[in-house]
Amino acid sequence: MKVFALLLAAFLPAFATNPAVAKGQGAGNPSAPILIELYSDFECPACRAFHVDMLPLLLRDFVNTGKVYLVDHDMSNHQHSAEATGYAFAAARIGKYSEVANALFQHQGEWSQNGKVWDAVASVLSAADQKKVAALAKDPSIQAEIKTETDDGRIKVAQTPTMIVIRSMRQYRFVGSPNYDLFSGFLNDLLKR
Amino acid sequence: MTFLQSIFRQNTAWRWTSLVLRVLLGVVFAYSAYAKLSEPWRIFAMDIEAYKLVTNLFLVELIARGLPWFELLLGLWLISGFWLRGSATICALLLTFFIGMMVWAQINKLGINCGCFGSGEKISWLTQLRDGSLLVAALVLAAWSHLSRRSPQPPPAAPTPA
Repeated sequence: MKVFALLLAAFLPAFATNPAVAKGQGAGNPSAPILIELYSDFECPACRAFHVDMLPLLLRDFVNTGKVYLVDHDMSNHQHSAEATGYAFAAARIGKYSEVANALFQHQGEWSQNGKVWDAVASVLSAADQKKVAALAKDPSIQAEIKTETDDGRIKVAQTPTMIVIRSMRQYRFVGSPNYDLFSGFLNDLLKR
Repeated sequence: MTFLQSIFRQNTAWRWTSLVLRVLLGVVFAYSAYAKLSEPWRIFAMDIEAYKLVTNLFLVELIARGLPWFELLLGLWLISGFWLRGSATICALLLTFFIGMMVWAQINKLGINCGCFGSGEKISWLTQLRDGSLLVAALVLAAWSHLSRRSPQPPPAAPTPA
């Protein structure tokens, strides 16, 4: 019995979701058969391509249908990405993560050049929400969350975007944006197992 | 007989070196095949497609399903030592092709997986150094197997008239 309890204590953390992830960054059914951990950066051009081209298909076919639980880890590896991530995390706390994340990727070409990250964020928030997000972004807990996400990501992945697909304790890594036809076929094969 | 031929044929050390090289290359190819075959074929297919050299999905599937088996056969062929000239030459050509693809991906800054030993290994100077070392081994083996062939026997001397 003691051995069983020790084993349980050792393996339980492996089944738990990452506590550092804000609620707004997990999408879909947490008890879905497949977990995808997405490591991304708001300022990386390949991440923008992934967000614009592949993510909507993935959400439509697998996340919204309850087959996949997607956890987004936002890393800060570029000049302005820490600021962008701060606004996104702050927006997550008032339930506006998706809106702000979409706006950041949509206007990435502009703010990554001129550094006016706030303009992209403000464009999708009401005046009241702008005040809340601007204040929350300076919160030390948000800054700590950014650091934790980035440090954790640097240990786990070599570049962004990277997807780690987890099904029944097996992990598969995908760098960049894989061909969607092949990737969806792969996920469907995993679901049949 | 050239100087190189005499070295390759007579030196016992070269014979042992060739044995080590062909077993090493054979094991590497067999392991590479195993790593791919133990994963769903679509993972390797995505790695192939990411190079953007073959975009037709039927061809991508054909390569993804066929290449690991070919690598396995080549690995076993190398280990067996049967017709080493053929296996070593094919091995060298295949490695040249693989390195060429990796260099192409690096030049175009694709930032993709190499697909060498299953999923999750990004192309880097390390992957190229590894494959480059294997290519050197394959070239040495191919050269050894070609040069150590028995040179044709000289035609029998014409009988001298009594």
